[in-house]
Amino acid sequence: MADPAHFALRKMLLDEITPVVMVLPTPLVEQRCQKNGLSFVQMLTPFCVFNNIDVPVRTASDQPYRLQKFKLRMFYGSDIRQPNIEVTKERLEQVIADAGNKEDSDLYLDPSPIEAMSTSSEPEFVPTWFQYFNKELVRSVSFSDHEAFDHPVACLLVVSSNDEDPINKFVNFFNTNQLPPLLNDGAMDPKIPKYFILVHDNQDGSPKRATKILAEMRNTFGSNDCRLLCINSSQDRLADHEPNPWAPYGSNASPGQHLGCLLNNEDMDELKAFVRDLLSKDIIPNMEQRIRVLNQQVSATRKGFRNQIKNLWWRKGKEDTPEVQSVNMYTFNSIESQIRVLGDYAFMLRDYELALSNYRLLSTDYKLDKAWKRYAGVQEMMGLTYFMLNQSKKDAEYCMENAFSTYLRIGTSGKGNATRCGLWWVEMLKTSGQYKDAAGVYFRISGEEPLHSAVMLEQASYCYLLSKPSMLRKYGFHLILSGDLYKKCDQIKHAIRAYRNALSVFKGTTWSHIHDHVHFQIGKWYAFLGRFDVAMKHMLEILACSHQSKAMQELFMKDFFQILQKTGKTYNISRLQLPIVNISSLSIVSEDHRTYGSPAAVSVKESVWQSLEEDMVPSLSNAKTTWLDLQSKLLPTKLKQSNVCVAGEALKVEISFRNPLQLSIPIYNVTLMCEYSANETLPDANSSSSVIEGDEDGKIATGRVSNSDTSFFTSSEVDITLAGGETTVAQLSVIPRKEGILRVTGVRWKLSDSMVGFYTFDSDFITKRISKQKRKAKQNTNKLDFLVIKSLPRLEGVINNLPSTVYAGNLQPLSLELRNSSEIPVKNLKMKISHPRFLNIGNPEVLDVNFPSCLEKKQPCDKGADFEATKQSETIFRFPKDTIINKETPFFLPLWFRSVTPGNVSLYLTVYYENEDKSTAMRYRTLRTHHILEVLPSLDVSFFISPCSSRLQEYVVRMDVINRTSLRNFKLHQLSSVGNEWQISLIESINHIFPSGNLVPGQALSCFLKLKNVKTTETKTDVWLGDDSSEAVFDTQRAPLVNFHHYERLHQKTSHQENQRTVDFMLISRMEESENVPSDLPTPPQIFSHHACHCSVSTKRPIWWLLDSPQVNHCNFSNSFCETKLKMTIHNSSSFVASVRINTFDAPPGGSPSGNKLGWHDMATLPMDDTSGTSTRKPVSLESVPPFIWSGSSTTRVKLEPNSTAEVSLLVTTFAPGTYDLSNYTLNWSLLDSNDSREKEGVCYGRPFYLTILREE
Amino acid sequence: MIVCIAVVGHQNNPLYIQSFTEADDALKLHHIVHCSLDVVDERVNNPKKSGPMLNETFLGLLYPTENYKVYGYLTNTKVKFILVTTDLDVRDADVRNFFRRFHSAYLDAVSNPFHVPGKKITSKTFAERVSNIVKSVSFHTTG
Repeated sequence: MADPAHFALRKMLLDEITPVVMVLPTPLVEQRCQKNGLSFVQMLTPFCVFNNIDVPVRTASDQPYRLQKFKLRMFYGSDIRQPNIEVTKERLEQVIADAGNKEDSDLYLDPSPIEAMSTSSEPEFVPTWFQYFNKELVRSVSFSDHEAFDHPVACLLVVSSNDEDPINKFVNFFNTNQLPPLLNDGAMDPKIPKYFILVHDNQDGSPKRATKILAEMRNTFGSNDCRLLCINSSQDRLADHEPNPWAPYGSNASPGQHLGCLLNNEDMDELKAFVRDLLSKDIIPNMEQRIRVLNQQVSATRKGFRNQIKNLWWRKGKEDTPEVQSVNMYTFNSIESQIRVLGDYAFMLRDYELALSNYRLLSTDYKLDKAWKRYAGVQEMMGLTYFMLNQSKKDAEYCMENAFSTYLRIGTSGKGNATRCGLWWVEMLKTSGQYKDAAGVYFRISGEEPLHSAVMLEQASYCYLLSKPSMLRKYGFHLILSGDLYKKCDQIKHAIRAYRNALSVFKGTTWSHIHDHVHFQIGKWYAFLGRFDVAMKHMLEILACSHQSKAMQELFMKDFFQILQKTGKTYNISRLQLPIVNISSLSIVSEDHRTYGSPAAVSVKESVWQSLEEDMVPSLSNAKTTWLDLQSKLLPTKLKQSNVCVAGEALKVEISFRNPLQLSIPIYNVTLMCEYSANETLPDANSSSSVIEGDEDGKIATGRVSNSDTSFFTSSEVDITLAGGETTVAQLSVIPRKEGILRVTGVRWKLSDSMVGFYTFDSDFITKRISKQKRKAKQNTNKLDFLVIKSLPRLEGVINNLPSTVYAGNLQPLSLELRNSSEIPVKNLKMKISHPRFLNIGNPEVLDVNFPSCLEKKQPCDKGADFEATKQSETIFRFPKDTIINKETPFFLPLWFRSVTPGNVSLYLTVYYENEDKSTAMRYRTLRTHHILEVLPSLDVSFFISPCSSRLQEYVVRMDVINRTSLRNFKLHQLSSVGNEWQISLIESINHIFPSGNLVPGQALSCFLKLKNVKTTETKTDVWLGDDSSEAVFDTQRAPLVNFHHYERLHQKTSHQENQRTVDFMLISRMEESENVPSDLPTPPQIFSHHACHCSVSTKRPIWWLLDSPQVNHCNFSNSFCETKLKMTIHNSSSFVASVRINTFDAPPGGSPSGNKLGWHDMATLPMDDTSGTSTRKPVSLESVPPFIWSGSSTTRVKLEPNSTAEVSLLVTTFAPGTYDLSNYTLNWSLLDSNDSREKEGVCYGRPFYLTILREE
Repeated sequence: MIVCIAVVGHQNNPLYIQSFTEADDALKLHHIVHCSLDVVDERVNNPKKSGPMLNETFLGLLYPTENYKVYGYLTNTKVKFILVTTDLDVRDADVRNFFRRFHSAYLDAVSNPFHVPGKKITSKTFAERVSNIVKSVSFHTTG
């Protein structure tokens, strides 16, 4: 019995299954007792528990044992009936509600972590009211007719000494109409021992009258059964009882009343002795006696083989009787009821062996009778008896399960009993540590009644938690189920408790659906209770519910904002999850001596700018900072350690926000958080004023600029609307107004008026990002601190009219506009352009150029001057010495723009300037601008040059032009050879080959030109290709065409071509106006120039030759043959002495000279001219060619000086009239003294030369 | 009818959970799957049978709820597959067969070089394949 594991249920059973004493008092007795704030039963209750009574008892088989602890239950006769279901239900609900309110204070604390729970012992976290609730549930089925332990074992008849005719009163008590119905209808034995008690109130006077009545009573009812009880001896109502024994029982007393105030210690002793005597001298011996009697009866009728057979027979016979009758079949004097009474009495007197044997006997009877409720009741008791005997755990559980399921099977009437049975079963399982099974039983107890189910499920969940190993997920699940049921019954506080406990299970897991649901419900319920602050705490957890469906997100957001509105508080939430700040996207740009013309310029790598500015900025500051540096002396050491920004200039911060939801969410007032300190000590949060200015890219809302009165900064705020799932980059900036130190601490935004999110930048992390943009020397410093220095002049530069998309070759005049917004003028400007092919600086003095007429050829033209200027600008363009840019007087610099090659082009342009004010820390600054252009293809121009076969020093040029655009027409303007060395002319009139004059998209044009090398100054270098000859020819020798050409030459230059003779072409064309563009404004003509440089005219072969003779010879063939004289002119164009050998063959032309074969040979392998590859020989038909022979020497050798010409005579003999192809000769040449092995010698094959011989008539 | 199929990682984090009902009962199924993990843990930690069952991946019926039956399957990498079905009369062999096919689909999905182990399976191909398997399997055996 001392086993603590068995304590709970054992104690419970010893408390609950105890003898019942029925009390029947007169109203006057009650009235006297109420003076103490107690009823008569309440007054006696504290003394009904005996811890050391030490009563000797004998079992039925005369085994003596002693009872130590014992308890009596006292009930008024009116209470001895089955409790009203409705009343019970209400009481239970009240219990739950009370418990909920009691826990009110705990409800808002953070739940204790689950780990702590599972290690601590049970009572610490399982709500204590469960026990009370369970007890109430068990009591709700007391005084059932199928059980005997609630049958009263004794009856107290109580009469006050002030009652009139007390004897009569005693007699009247046993009038049937005053007795409980159970006694009357035969379920209980009405013949119970009666005790007659006279209560005397000492305040009513001396106990004389009482003793007189007592004597009378003794005469009437027998002396043993009459008692006198004196109460209220304390005269002054001051009897104080500490501890008050009635405190746990006096539930219906008014709070001010002192319980038992009229009972002094003597009264108490008397009460105690009274109950003790009653128990030890009367009740227990009576019960013992009755056990013996009943046992004898049972043995006589049921024990033994004969009785059993008889019983079986008898039961069989009753099988046909309908079940309805069987309910009232067992009256108190039926043998079954008596066995039951015997068993229950034995159980109450703890003679468990006897009880068990009787229960066993009874259960088979009831089973045969199909009296299921009674059967279940007996099974239940068997289970409990097994348990109390502490043996055969399996049997105990089997009996309990059997009882439980039997109760359930009989429907509604068995429900309450099933619950009680289940609760006992659960306790039984708990004592043996089978928590998991206990949870299962709890789950089975939970029926249709939601409130009961909720409590049972909650208890089940605790069982899962206590089971080893603890099943946390089931714990959570059952808590959720129970919470839902609580909610259904409007027990919000209980629901919250259940959910909050469940939360500890789901915290930190990735089961986000459940997690969200729990937080959302808790938040809603707290809001329902009016605790909006706590509700918000939970609602914040569900903000980033990206995994939820759109409908759910909408619901969450709606409720979130509703609750937020109701709280009426402003929340500042660090790292608010809506929207999500992508910290890795953070980039901060401060401008120190480097200023940027556009955001695009910022993103360019620092190394690009550095290489561009290399020669321009003073080397001091560009080199790594050392202690020798001038700058380090001028600026305090702080400056070196932090980034520098200039007062009045914006510090730009880019950071991206991501909306995790599918809904579009607006956020307001996105601002940077900054701290400012005036001196050079570290910024202090107290002196800070947070100010921000920001603007948004793209579609996003307008930024409002507000000047803060503090005038440390200027701020503006940004409103963004993030569509579902969208990521938006916010461009924020802060403008410091005063010198000092500025620290960027984070970004803040408003989700609504009262929900402010902020994100504090972690400087460790950001260091990495910013160092990309900053000087390497500063990598170890805090990148969020900025030293604000005095305001400096700052130039802003714009290239006006710079197109974003152009066609290749387009030539446009532009201007660079430089503005200085500061009072301090700047001077000593320099500029560098990354791609001089694209941008060329015009004459700073000529601003208003009349394009394109300024390109036209004028007389007289001063060539050369511009070109010299161009050469200079290859590196750095220096602005005129006296250029000073003041406030409000923008400076314009003309620029020429020509798009060169198709594709995307980045142009970098950096302007260096110094400020006049010597006192500032920075003497110079640079303005960096970056422009991105898309260049579309326009015309493809290619030139093929082949030497003219008929003339020395003349070439045929084929120009191929293709219009690569998709829409635009081109009009060719002119083709020029640059320089004055080459003269070009059209071979054919342009109107013949190209009558329309328009080159439509996709069209190709080829035309042939003649190129002649001349050395005179007045060379005709331009060919007019247009249809309208009235337009002026453009001068290719003037800026900007010549400048661009210069860069083209540089660009197209290859190393091999340096020594050779080349020609450069420039094709100028004009784009037709597109029809579909409304041309309200007179757009300037689109002039294009295409340059082809270094077109080589020289061949690899240094030898030129020309065969010359009259083409037609008349001969009379008088000698039967005709001789024709030919003259070959040979020119050596190389710088070496050349030896040339001319071989002639008689073989037909086209025969391979080296092979010297006759007969059939491959016609296809004709030797090709190895120079240009453009001239092809026509195959010659053998049959058509009459034979001819070379007369004279077959080999002639001549020696040629460098750049000299020689003539050789040749003779051809023909025998018949006809046309002859005189190409069967070779020129073998070799250069003497040449070191180049490749070009030392070679063979040239004869070119076709047709000689026609006619017969002379 | 198969109501829900779930893949749960070895840290009991959901990798893939898909319900095949029209009703909006995702939360309920999440709860059921989550809860069944307790049973999986219990089965794994207290293997009642030994010998031939030692390397068995199929965990059998985890627990019957009022309307559903929940089956489990444990891979060698401690990834759990949970199947929730409304069919109350199901042969183990059928479920076993289903899990085998599902396992191979899962293997293919995680073999994708772009799949991050331990992260949710987002592959559309996998989802498609799973729904095909689910559609093709019917547990109506004896009728």
